[in-house]
Amino acid sequence: MKRKKGLLLATLAVVLLLSACSGGNGGGNASESADSGGASSPAESGKKTKVVLLVPGNLGDKSFFDAANRGMDLLKEQLGAETKVIEMGTDKTKWEPTVNDIASQDWDFILSGGADITEVFNAAAEAYPDKKFIDYDTENPEVPDNVYAMSYATNEVSFLAGAVAALTTKSSMPQANPDNVIGFLGGMDIPGINTFLVGYIEGAKYVDPDVKVAVSYAGSFSDPAKGKELSLVEYNSGVDVIFNVAGGTGLGVFDAAKEKKQYAIGVDSDQAMLMKDSDSEKANLIVTSAIKKIDTAILGAVKKGQEGTLPYGTLERMGFEQDGVGLADNEIYKSVFPADLQAKIEDIKKKLAAKEITVTDASAMETSKVEEIRNSVKP
Amino acid sequence: MDSLWSVIWSTDFAFSILRVTTPILFAALGALISNRAGIINIGLEGIMLVAALTGVVTSAYTHSAWVGLLCAVLSGVMIAGILAFFTLQFKTHIILGGIAINMFASGGTVFFLYLLSGDKGASSSLQSKVLPNVDIPLLKDVPVLGPILSGHNVLTYASIAAVFAVYYMMKRTPLGLRIRSVGENPHAAQSVGVSVVRTQYTALLLSGLLAGLGGAYMSMGYLSLFTRDMTAGRGWIAIAAESMGRSTTVGTTLTSFLFGAANALANALTVLKIPSELIATFPYAATVIGLLVYAIGESRKRKKAAVKPNEG
Repeated sequence: MKRKKGLLLATLAVVLLLSACSGGNGGGNASESADSGGASSPAESGKKTKVVLLVPGNLGDKSFFDAANRGMDLLKEQLGAETKVIEMGTDKTKWEPTVNDIASQDWDFILSGGADITEVFNAAAEAYPDKKFIDYDTENPEVPDNVYAMSYATNEVSFLAGAVAALTTKSSMPQANPDNVIGFLGGMDIPGINTFLVGYIEGAKYVDPDVKVAVSYAGSFSDPAKGKELSLVEYNSGVDVIFNVAGGTGLGVFDAAKEKKQYAIGVDSDQAMLMKDSDSEKANLIVTSAIKKIDTAILGAVKKGQEGTLPYGTLERMGFEQDGVGLADNEIYKSVFPADLQAKIEDIKKKLAAKEITVTDASAMETSKVEEIRNSVKP
Repeated sequence: MDSLWSVIWSTDFAFSILRVTTPILFAALGALISNRAGIINIGLEGIMLVAALTGVVTSAYTHSAWVGLLCAVLSGVMIAGILAFFTLQFKTHIILGGIAINMFASGGTVFFLYLLSGDKGASSSLQSKVLPNVDIPLLKDVPVLGPILSGHNVLTYASIAAVFAVYYMMKRTPLGLRIRSVGENPHAAQSVGVSVVRTQYTALLLSGLLAGLGGAYMSMGYLSLFTRDMTAGRGWIAIAAESMGRSTTVGTTLTSFLFGAANALANALTVLKIPSELIATFPYAATVIGLLVYAIGESRKRKKAAVKPNEG
């Protein structure tokens, strides 16, 4: 009797554990994952536009993928589209079958984005020439005829972030110190991140040619403790504002900023607003955020697609003119950043939109050139 | 080179070594206890992750950092208990059990985080509490030593205290003796009436407790939030530190500090004009050097054993 009871308990424990496991990994399991649309009624909803988003990773990064997910919410609210979000997880071998699976189904628009997925995505597009694909973030200029591709002028918005940082360090803002040094924390030393960096440096030097920029790379996008350590080192060396472009690692920057009472600049999403309710002290130190407006870009693209005006087969660059990028213009920015300096930033924005200022695009720059730029501003 | 020395010979740098080492030290001590009892707990990374999440969630709901800490430690013990239950009761292979714990923790923490906060990446929407930093009276006014040793998180001091506690336990208490004898020769231990299973249970639970403290430090001391996979391999580094320290308390502590110092150095050097690729190799270079020292020591020991075959 006792043994039987033990066995029963054990089986129960195993079942519980397994169900918890499968729940936890559900996000990574491609074909049967989260349906943000709720209703999965097929066939009869023929009038509704059917849009599917394939996330090459998992939601919850507080920046890149979450912004695309917000775009899907906009589609549902504003266009009444039937949407589905599939998290394909980080196992790249699962991406190709999932994309092909989805391409063979009845979807009006198939969305995905990010440098890693583009190749798989384009191959699927060529295999299914009658389907429409939207690649919402890529740098690859070779676009098949049934794919519309977008890229973002991250160098331009980083230019603005650099200008904000250089103005902050010389300002009379309470936590700014007399050292004319600003900081940058990158996830990895790769072209995608260095595009931000070079724009940031140019923007800072546009405002103040003598400014110095301390640069560090964490080598990871998911180690916030490392991000905090590196930020503390920068703050201790006289930096008073850090621009983070490091995904989850970047969340550590805000912890360091709070500890040292220094400023930080967010990336991709409006990161100050994400923390405003839970930790206002921390949020108030995030002067602004450099945002890729992935959500509105997705909305705009699908809208054009419905109207039949979407230029398939091209890669469009979303800059200031197209409202594809921008600085977070929130209450904290307005109250923390002095008004006369805000006016200067507005001035630069206009010049960027009018192409009076051109920012170098480092996405195809040689490593040695990036190194040179980096060393020229090292403190 | 001047700036290099100014970076290393600063109190900030020395302070950061202690801060970086804390989670590694906790987990390494946990690895030590279970290893000495003859079971390798490779689930430390997962246990730390679960404890980190539990601490954040419970402190946010109870508005008390201390309750959060208690729950974090209990969750660490509980996960270790599950591991022990399956490996000791049902004879699951300990390595498989450990892998299961790590995979469960990586996916499960995200799942529960999503359930509780509606977020899959970070707990920044929860108002979790942080354990306090402690200024040590008198010591904090001493030049040089004060800024290095005072003002750390309370768990950093706890990790140092844990070193002494583990040392005392292994060397001076009946439990320590039982753990060592079970690890070295379970049949001999059994023949004199020591319950092997019960001792290994205790050792695994203790290692869960220490890893739980390490996890709590990650999300409630080091940082103020939980993020997906935030332990970022520190549990594995701890296992490496423990085996390099040859399962002795002193050795494990020293190697933990070696890894901590190598990481802190890599962090500090980023402000200098050194290529980032080179800096990123520092912790690994330290590991290789450490392993080399370990290998030389081992081969010497083996030579000694060969000379005196009777004792082997």
